[in-house]
Amino acid sequence: MSSLSSWWRGSRALALLTAFAAMSLIPKVSAVDFATQVHPILESRCVPCHSGDKPPAGLSFANKGTALKGGTDGPVITPGDSEHSLMILKVTGRKGAIMPAAGGPLSAEQISILKRWINEGAVWPDTASDLSSHWEAPIAPRQPPIPEGPDANPIDRFIAAYFAQHHLDRPKIVTDAVFARRVYFDVWGLPPSAAQLDKFLTDKDANKRKRLVDSLLADREMYAENWISWWNDLLRNDTGVNYLGERKPITPWLLKALEENMSYDRMISSLVNPVAPTDPDGFLIGVNWRGTVNASQTPYMQAAQNTAQVFLGINLKCASCHDSFVNKYKLRQSYGMAALFSPDARLELVRCDVKQGQFVTPALLYPDLGSVPENASLNQRHAAAAKFFTDPRNGRVPRTIVNRYWQKLFGRGLVQPVDDMDSEPWNADLLDWLASDFTAHGNDLEYLLRTILTSKAYQMTAVVSTELAAKNYVFAGPYVRRLSAEEFVDTVSAITGVWRTRPEGNDAVQVRDWELKSSSLSLALGRPIRDQVFTTRDNHATTFQALELVNGDALEKELHRGSLQLLGELSPPPSNSFDSGILRHGSVSFDIDISGAKQLWLLTQDAGSYDPSRTIAGWADVELSGPNGGKKLAELTTLSKFDEQPITADKQPLGKSVTVPLNSKLIYPIEGLGFTRMRGRVAVDDRSRPSDIGGSVRFFVFTAEPDPERLVKIVGKPPVPPAAPLRSVDEAVNRLFLTLFARRPTDDELHISRGFFQKDPSAQPKLEPAALEDFLWSMLLHPDFQYVY
Amino acid sequence: MNSEERRIAREITAGLDRRHFLRATGAAALAALAGTEPKLVAGTTKLTPRADSMILLWMAGGMAQTETFDPKRYTPYKPGLESNAVLSTFPSIDTSVDNIKISQGLERIAKVMDRGTLIRSHRVGDLGFILHSRHQFHWHTGYPPPQSVAAPHMGAVISRTLGPRNPDIPAFLDIGQNLEIGAESDSVKAFHTAGFLGSEYSPFLIYDPNDAVSRTRPSENVGRARFQRRYENYKKLVAASPVGEYGSDFQRQSLARSLENAHRLLNSPAAKAFDLSLEPKKTYDIYNTGRFGLGCLLARRLIESGARFVEVTTEYIPFRYWDTHENGHTRTVGMKQDVDAPTAQLILDLEERGLLDRTLVVIASEFGRDMMTEGKPGQEVKDQVKQPAIMTELKHYGMHRHYTEACSVLLFGGGSPKGKLYGRTADERPCKIVENPVTIDDLHATIYSVLGIAPDTYYEVEKRPFYVTKDGKGKVVGALRA
Repeated sequence: MSSLSSWWRGSRALALLTAFAAMSLIPKVSAVDFATQVHPILESRCVPCHSGDKPPAGLSFANKGTALKGGTDGPVITPGDSEHSLMILKVTGRKGAIMPAAGGPLSAEQISILKRWINEGAVWPDTASDLSSHWEAPIAPRQPPIPEGPDANPIDRFIAAYFAQHHLDRPKIVTDAVFARRVYFDVWGLPPSAAQLDKFLTDKDANKRKRLVDSLLADREMYAENWISWWNDLLRNDTGVNYLGERKPITPWLLKALEENMSYDRMISSLVNPVAPTDPDGFLIGVNWRGTVNASQTPYMQAAQNTAQVFLGINLKCASCHDSFVNKYKLRQSYGMAALFSPDARLELVRCDVKQGQFVTPALLYPDLGSVPENASLNQRHAAAAKFFTDPRNGRVPRTIVNRYWQKLFGRGLVQPVDDMDSEPWNADLLDWLASDFTAHGNDLEYLLRTILTSKAYQMTAVVSTELAAKNYVFAGPYVRRLSAEEFVDTVSAITGVWRTRPEGNDAVQVRDWELKSSSLSLALGRPIRDQVFTTRDNHATTFQALELVNGDALEKELHRGSLQLLGELSPPPSNSFDSGILRHGSVSFDIDISGAKQLWLLTQDAGSYDPSRTIAGWADVELSGPNGGKKLAELTTLSKFDEQPITADKQPLGKSVTVPLNSKLIYPIEGLGFTRMRGRVAVDDRSRPSDIGGSVRFFVFTAEPDPERLVKIVGKPPVPPAAPLRSVDEAVNRLFLTLFARRPTDDELHISRGFFQKDPSAQPKLEPAALEDFLWSMLLHPDFQYVY
Repeated sequence: MNSEERRIAREITAGLDRRHFLRATGAAALAALAGTEPKLVAGTTKLTPRADSMILLWMAGGMAQTETFDPKRYTPYKPGLESNAVLSTFPSIDTSVDNIKISQGLERIAKVMDRGTLIRSHRVGDLGFILHSRHQFHWHTGYPPPQSVAAPHMGAVISRTLGPRNPDIPAFLDIGQNLEIGAESDSVKAFHTAGFLGSEYSPFLIYDPNDAVSRTRPSENVGRARFQRRYENYKKLVAASPVGEYGSDFQRQSLARSLENAHRLLNSPAAKAFDLSLEPKKTYDIYNTGRFGLGCLLARRLIESGARFVEVTTEYIPFRYWDTHENGHTRTVGMKQDVDAPTAQLILDLEERGLLDRTLVVIASEFGRDMMTEGKPGQEVKDQVKQPAIMTELKHYGMHRHYTEACSVLLFGGGSPKGKLYGRTADERPCKIVENPVTIDDLHATIYSVLGIAPDTYYEVEKRPFYVTKDGKGKVVGALRA
């Protein structure tokens, strides 16, 4: 690393490997880093004055050109010679008035950084030319010839050529069982059931791996319900999240697009140019909070950032505030893209919160691909954006998506980081071929997935990801990957047969995790709060996460119910005797048969109130009657406390009613009192109607203790068919090993597993719920389950 | 943490038990192997820490400064009162500091005022619409949302930068906030996170202090003996796995380490800190003004046992607690009862135990309140709460609107000046700051500096610096450090 430019390249690699710098796996580089050490000083201490149209002494630090050029006194930076650089003379007070003029002098350490930076050549790596000397990512598509070779799948021919070139042996292909587990997770987000695995393993067809891929992809519902989480991260889509500002989910469109295998170019067009009523206009709205917002976070600047990141692998976040110091993109370019999405096509440039008095009109990031007239309407500009991102000449878009798929399936991209597609791929030919092949096949995402999944490269033995440390990445097979939050949670449901539910009409349907709001468990397992684009999940094992897995309510509840269900001991929940449905105002009357009931359970549930704590709901005029006479509700002894107050529902005064907080229950022992009927009204008081309360309540009556997870009728089928109840300890052990690890236990493991079910080593193993719960927990926390090998 | 970061943390936390420290960072170092952990870069100034830990007492909902720590002319209620004439609905009381008077109802805090600093000139952000959750996000992270990267909570930043004080106690705990509060749930969740710092630094959430002990105990269903047996069996099962050839030692190890840490924490004697039933009845009763009061007691116990950062909140629920839109006066009476005794007792207890010197206690709120002005004076904000010009009912009497132009903050311990008053607001409406304004950036810079963290310390995320104070520009207010 003698020359300065090669030092810079070294330091870029270093930025990815920070954790290793200190572990002396790579030589220590003592050079000053511009982006993280010099830029902060310039940005905070120099730029506030020395920028804009008329900077003091004609000297602007706003960008490399002006800073290195100097001001009216000539250059201030003499690369390689800090002693004679005016900048150093000024900040040390050795010439004229000390700089900065305001805010006190620089610290000794800051001055030392500037000196070292100048002495090391004042490298300001913010230009395309610095990068192009090494690698410049092409824009145009390229279709490299497929190398000759015996492999059917072109990916494998590229990989064979790669291995030959690197003098590497081809890694082994995984066994059928490991392959099945890997591909089931990658397509369906669930492991194969014991029966599915057995069927695949006993299949003698030489072509069975391809057939398995085809059959998994053919179940579009299963595929879509797995991949939607990945797309939600990418498009930062989350249902039900709204920060009292504008935000709109695109979930229905996205699910349908995946189920119908909508082509990628059509998806992009719908996202950036939503014209049909079913189009996902939420994508361009972004994430907004009511109130004023920094110029770099306006909805249209968010749209510029998101479209550039998602579709092009370009980080415009820095360049939304000032010319980027970490890549080649400029403030004007971000504004040019933002002007495609803003109501006003002419945007005033704001640099670090300071208006610049200059205006920018719509401009594409790659001007060779066209221009957009300043007077174009918003619709026309959206259309221009769609055309830009789907232009066949724009090879960057297919490269970016195939690289994301590669990363998802191999654990590391052909280009890494996946959001910096200006970086050099480890196999440019393979990247370009995959991209051009994807385009040639109509931007068909299912085709892309099939191409990769049927390659031998995908089927190679997984390797550990410590290669991230290596300066020069060498492909040697997919990485071992941790299961995602959704894969973990859904697998628990798939093996136990207990799913969580969401309301549908007045009933409930059983759903996979993606349909539900994040829980403490899924958050701990790395499901992101999707306020930003997420392209890589944080899936490290952490203590915080372990606490949730070891002692969290959510998993414990799942395992408790799940074990009972697996043993066929989960008693069917009592049905409700009355269900008011969702009530937002007014009242509903009921008159129900309660003959023979020993208890009455009156449940008042929140059904999505804006402010549940101020919602007033109650039970009015409730009377119980029978051969022995009648009684009012308030006259009965109750196991729970309640208030009585007058309720007015839809302007109808209902008189004094039993009012309770939402999500509470009233329990009445009525055994032996001879009541046969119960009648009355449930009501939401008019005081709960203002929009800042938005009362929304659902009332139930049960005659036995209800199952809080099963208050309403469950309709429809579970996401996967339930397994038969377990009949023996060995069946439990074998089934869980097959389903969770895709293998049978060794004798040793079988012995240890039986131990979970024995009170002491001499006792006969006994299949009972607590032991099964503990065994299930241990299997789910086992690294053989937690990772995809 | 890499070794450079450990060095930074060690410098900041010099004097800690080194063996403990390494044990604690072992897992994090393993996680860093994956190379995606954001890199910590120390700020340009080297600071001597004055405190090792911090307690944030959060007055959620917007505490009215003229009703608490910045009292103005008192006008008792009578029907027909002109709204614009009312600045305070409580008389002032003396404190243990000659030139400081605060509002009636805070008698116990008044007695400990000589231990701390009162800032009357805190100016929060001006974000257009005055939304509670957005201002809380801003205050807790230093950055107003939306942001292009996931901003971490201050507690996560401090825990991550300094590391845990005791590996058997979560470094960052957050007491009293239910995250499922209806429509604003997601807004509140959005800043109760470690953001890009990763889940290791997430807040350990405790809603009900009385129930905190259950978080450190196997559930009643399972019980300790079974819990322990399960783990022993689990370890045997993992050790017997033949899958080594596929597995990664690093990943298997880091999973094992995380589980070991969790089990150690759950079995540690330090977990007794969570059990309020171990507290003498006399002190328990002093603190027991409700969930907030007991939260203060729990915070004290956790700090004694080695927590790094504890937040105790009065809880944010729209229109509840300090969000005194309607019936402001009457409700403020109740809020003061909730916070006065436990806050004062916390200071006294920390002092008695010799911990106040090394623990910074901050009392703050997302904005102040006024009866007439929403946002800042001279600015029109939509969706204001209605206030009649003439009061006809007691429920009109109180500070109904959100005021961003002045807000009170208290600092105790960690070398905060004692008995000091900082900043001043005008005595007539709109009671603007007339002396020494302190922005969120500068207040945070001061807080971080007390903990030995320079305000331009940053984490490198997506190759760019993300500073602990906004853009690294927070300025330490020298007068607020001893």
